[in-house]
Amino acid sequence: MSMEGSIGQDGGSENWGPQVTRKSLMRGGLAALLVAPWTASTLGAGGGRESGGQDAEASGRTRGAGVTDDEIVLGVSAAFSGPSRGLGAELYRGATAYFNHVNANGGIEGRRITLKLYDDGYQPDPCVQNTMRLMLEDKVFLLFGYVGTPTVTRVLPILKKFQNEDIFLFFPFTGAQPQREPPYGDFAFNLRASYNQETAGLVDNLIRIGKRRIAVFYQIDAYGRSGWAGVRAALQKHGEKLAGEATYSRGEKFTGSMRKQVEILQGVSPDAVICIGAYAACAGFARDAVDLGLDVPIANLSFVGSENLLKLLTEGREDAGKYTRQLINSQVVPSYEDTSIPAVREYRELMARHDPQVPEELTREEYTPFAHSFGSLEGFLNARLLAEILRRLGPNPDRAGLEEAVFSVRDFDLGISEKVSFGPDRRQGLQSVYHTVVEEGRFVPLDDWGARFA
Amino acid sequence: MSSASSGVRIRRLFQKTRFGIFAVFGLIVLSTSILCIYTVDTELTAEYEINIQNIAKTIADSSVGILLNRDLATLQSLVDQFLDVQGIEYIYITSESGEFLAHTFVPGIPEEILASDHGSTEPVERSLPGMGDFIEVGSPILAGVAGTAHVGMDLDVVALKIQRAIGQQVYLISVILVLGVLASIWFVNLAAKPLAELLAYAVELARDGEREDLADREILSRDDEAGHLARLFLHVARQGAGRGPAPGVGGRE
Repeated sequence: MSMEGSIGQDGGSENWGPQVTRKSLMRGGLAALLVAPWTASTLGAGGGRESGGQDAEASGRTRGAGVTDDEIVLGVSAAFSGPSRGLGAELYRGATAYFNHVNANGGIEGRRITLKLYDDGYQPDPCVQNTMRLMLEDKVFLLFGYVGTPTVTRVLPILKKFQNEDIFLFFPFTGAQPQREPPYGDFAFNLRASYNQETAGLVDNLIRIGKRRIAVFYQIDAYGRSGWAGVRAALQKHGEKLAGEATYSRGEKFTGSMRKQVEILQGVSPDAVICIGAYAACAGFARDAVDLGLDVPIANLSFVGSENLLKLLTEGREDAGKYTRQLINSQVVPSYEDTSIPAVREYRELMARHDPQVPEELTREEYTPFAHSFGSLEGFLNARLLAEILRRLGPNPDRAGLEEAVFSVRDFDLGISEKVSFGPDRRQGLQSVYHTVVEEGRFVPLDDWGARFA
Repeated sequence: MSSASSGVRIRRLFQKTRFGIFAVFGLIVLSTSILCIYTVDTELTAEYEINIQNIAKTIADSSVGILLNRDLATLQSLVDQFLDVQGIEYIYITSESGEFLAHTFVPGIPEEILASDHGSTEPVERSLPGMGDFIEVGSPILAGVAGTAHVGMDLDVVALKIQRAIGQQVYLISVILVLGVLASIWFVNLAAKPLAELLAYAVELARDGEREDLADREILSRDDEAGHLARLFLHVARQGAGRGPAPGVGGRE
């Protein structure tokens, strides 16, 4: 895959298969899902006609949906704009680094992997519109790398509606339960551990060191509720209840005040707070908590976007540790600093070699990527596993064979310590959760909870 | 008509009539407006209550399967979608034991709602500090054994909509009032004009009933009460002066 600076033509998808008209969209019962103006940019790999990536005449005969003789097209809707744009950007960069590597080495059975990108700004309605466009107009082979629970939970019913099309969602950047359980679990494959596993890990460790009064600060949507439910369930196993809760609206910026939320939680005197949110709001909460004297451990889930959170809390501050001493961040991939891990070494090498950037058309707001991040490492591992699954489809990839190809993954070595397995009753590849704290301006593994927080 | 008649206006005779017309129209407008305000307010309030009850019932019905699957993320997603309905300001779903399973409150659940009876489904008006005034209704989920869905509608939005509807009705009535008054003035003036001419003619007769030109006035040819009176006045004036009857008096009367 050679995505750097190569922008495909919007609407070029008609070259990949039968054009889907507005009428056919309406026949599908989705007349309202006309293309929104702000879903403007699409990106295809290969540099368009010059590199043969976008043009059907150049790329060869069209096969099944999303597959030609030269490429396999994957559909992505993610947050590339708005306060959570860092999540989509990092996940994309990591995945692209690996796909570039695959394409540079002959692709999958001679086919390059191409991403068709749309920005949803981490908002459900645009995500639904993008998904319909990817499925019905762009005719992508599969959906990949979606970001967020409120977005993915709205897309799942669409996948069920079109279940005869065998279109699957691969490795969304969310640990929520809906894509792991009936009635929608059959339409998605997850790599990362769930929020239930993340919250259980946090609660178990906090209670082990005597922090029994645990409150929750969460985003008031499906993501926040998913994490809230995870904390609640984990506490119930210890015979405890939530000490209290405070909420914020999705899209909150770091510059916004979280003082009311902090005051609400101060009122219940918690021993610790678990945050279920995105980095801008969670950083704002951590800042205001420290400023108002709520001096308790503040834990975040992997989705928060750890590096962006850290950047907001430390950038330009003399006392860089002021707001980060009590932070605990749960992760679903190992540390990108641990170069003893083979996949981490490869990730660092390919990120340095390709340094993928989000296409300019999608970056309407300034974003400075990180050389390495948990998000891009997750994207990298997602791409690594997906490439393996595509290889297992053989020389004639077809959507109908996807599920079988995924289920054939047994004890697959992804390059981290944990082996990956899938099966009809196992649609989540990894189970491990890692905990990190901030030391000297970077995230390091948290080995001794008692010494740090007791 | 001579120039003398144009200076004479009938003011007093129709003054009461005009006031009477204004009063009647005002009374009609006032009573119609009051009836309209009452009807629109009652009907729309009832309609909004029914709508909100229907929304609460829809949420409750949609929640059954989700709750039984213990899928609170999807439940929250469902609740969030209903917030797009204009006027709905908050939604919360409580379990059969009163635990909040999903809600839309930021930065937290208000104390008044925390302290309320979560199983109640009767419409209740709430005034929540920092949020406003609301009408809240509940709907049982699975006959109440799985919990209750509650929906809060902003009373200000409802009041605004009702005021707008009433305003439109009153505006129409007011326009009709103004047009009616203007028309009545025009008709009164129309009726007053021959009387003014008659008055002017009578004044001229009183001043000098012997003038020959007074028998050739246009008013004498009118075929209405003003014409009859003018001819009668001329007849009386001429008789008083010892002259013959005025033209047309005997035959017409």
